[in-house]
Amino acid sequence: MRVVIAEDSVLLREGLVRLLADAAIETVATVGDGPGLPGVVEEHEPDLAIVDVRMPPSFTDEGLRAALAVRERRPGTPILVLSQYVEERYATDLIGGGAEGVGYLLKERVSDVAEFIDAVRRIAAGGTVIDPEVIGQLLGRRRADDPLEALTPREREVLGLMAQGRSNGAIAEGLVVTEGAVEKHISNIFAKLDLQPAQGGHRRVMAVLAYLGRADA
Amino acid sequence: MGELSSGIGGAGEPPARAGTPGGGATRAGRAVSVMDGPWHPAAMARSAVTWTSALYLAVSFASGLTWFVVLVAGLSVSLATLIIWVGFPLLALMMVAWRFGARLERRLVRTAFGVAIPDPYRPRPQSRNPFARLKAMAADPATWKDLVYLGLLFPLTLVEFVVSAFTWALTGTLLFMPLIVLFGGGMEINLGRVTYWSGNPFEALPVSAVGLVVLAAALYVTRGMAIAHAAWARLMLGANASQAENRELRERTAHLRASRARGVDAAEFERRRIERDLHDGAQQRLLAVAMDIGRARAKLDEDPEGARALIEQAHAGTKEAITELRDLARGIYPAILTDRGLDPALSGLAGRAPVPVEVDVDLPERPPAAVESIAYFIVAEALANIAKYARATRASVRVAREDRWVVVEVIDNGVGGAVARAGGGLSGLADRAATIDGTLIVDSPPGGPTIVRADLPCTW
Repeated sequence: MRVVIAEDSVLLREGLVRLLADAAIETVATVGDGPGLPGVVEEHEPDLAIVDVRMPPSFTDEGLRAALAVRERRPGTPILVLSQYVEERYATDLIGGGAEGVGYLLKERVSDVAEFIDAVRRIAAGGTVIDPEVIGQLLGRRRADDPLEALTPREREVLGLMAQGRSNGAIAEGLVVTEGAVEKHISNIFAKLDLQPAQGGHRRVMAVLAYLGRADA
Repeated sequence: MGELSSGIGGAGEPPARAGTPGGGATRAGRAVSVMDGPWHPAAMARSAVTWTSALYLAVSFASGLTWFVVLVAGLSVSLATLIIWVGFPLLALMMVAWRFGARLERRLVRTAFGVAIPDPYRPRPQSRNPFARLKAMAADPATWKDLVYLGLLFPLTLVEFVVSAFTWALTGTLLFMPLIVLFGGGMEINLGRVTYWSGNPFEALPVSAVGLVVLAAALYVTRGMAIAHAAWARLMLGANASQAENRELRERTAHLRASRARGVDAAEFERRRIERDLHDGAQQRLLAVAMDIGRARAKLDEDPEGARALIEQAHAGTKEAITELRDLARGIYPAILTDRGLDPALSGLAGRAPVPVEVDVDLPERPPAAVESIAYFIVAEALANIAKYARATRASVRVAREDRWVVVEVIDNGVGGAVARAGGGLSGLADRAATIDGTLIVDSPPGGPTIVRADLPCTW
């Protein structure tokens, strides 16, 4: 597996390279700013691009814009965006052009190596990984006449885990219930939120995130 | 909510907003002034200000005379004794006295005519030295205008007295003629060319009718004199245009100075808080991590299991430190606010709040950075207070542009009863708002709901 990294902090960049190398993932190129990313991606055609949000020259959401540019020029390129802060608005921007092969995680998740490598592999394979904090923010929001109010607390928990891209089995394990119970919750959620029932990890995530992100539309 | 106060303002008074009626005696609920009351005779007869004016015009001759005597005597004595130095303290005493007289006159004019005349004096010097104060008094043109007014009060009130006495005596005599005839017997009445004899009260009734007409005339005469006197008093006892402007500028300077000082204090307070948070939080955690790793290194050879446990502890510690640093950095300045503006930043805040928060941001464009930042932190503080004290089950945040103002409103359905606490988060934010001439109001009756509202001026 081959990745490119866009990260301006040398310390973190080198750390990432080593961490990935330990897991037999090859880093083919690194850049230190946002505008350089699309060119590098076109040149190396990696399996995944790992991008920091805040980078030169503007030190605002440079990395996010670079990520969107990459997705526009080479649709479907898997991208993992790392950020010191997670903001739901960034997440909804990012998945606006399709949630397949998109990841958005807090930078510090890198330190849980095994989980991080797992996320990297899932994204490269076309999955969606969104930081639990973002899901928390999206679920915490309220609008007038919010259909989320109709959900029971347990259904809300299931929705949160589902939005993170967990499988039914993983959700059942996390909540200590049977898979059958999880399936029942999920069909209730889809019914209450008026969503098309969907199979497969990322399709489900997309549906849920599209629903949650609708407030920004 | 714990640390709010009701009505934390900038420097006491909010800045005047466009369309607010200026001061003056004619606001609803206040007495009418002779300047702009109704002109119909019946309305004038019913209006209290007419009768207070009449009273003033009739009796102020006494104070006019008194001041004339005091001033003439006092000034000539003090001028004559200047040569032996006694004159100076006497003159100073006179000056203080006539300033006092002018203040009294201002109050009388307000009571009698309903015309408010604010003191036009320059502010007192900071010095406690009485000579410095006297010097400043003597240098103030308003002091000398006071003297002119009081000096000329005598001839003015003399005329007013004579006219009033004649007018009201005539009016009274004619109006009450039937009573006079009843108690004083028959009388020959001479009305210009018409002369007739009235032997009983009924025959005198037509005279009363004439008296009514004269009463109307008397009312107009009184009104006219009152207006003239009030205008003269306003001219001599009040501030002229440039004095009024100076006064306004002085007040504004004082307001700005105070709000700037509070803004600096608020910033200092913030820096101390950040220092404390860094010191108590991340710094201590990293120190603990360093110690864990140091111990793990020592144990690595003889006790690898113990070393592993220590490393796990250190790993957890670093993650906690990262979380703390992130929260701290967000508290100093949230990156998303710069990147995307208020709506996403406030949505993020709302998402992290423990109670459901509805967010409604309606701004045509992004306001200046200072306004955005103050608005953001007001909402952050209000939501933090709601989480801590309000026991609310929901809250809403509204940001909208009203005219040239950005209005920020945070409402919760909690228990209310906010109690003032100086140095609290929201009063610090009120101070920050004051630095840009904004205001912050907290309305929190016991039992709720609590409303935190900020009006931030903003031109863009």
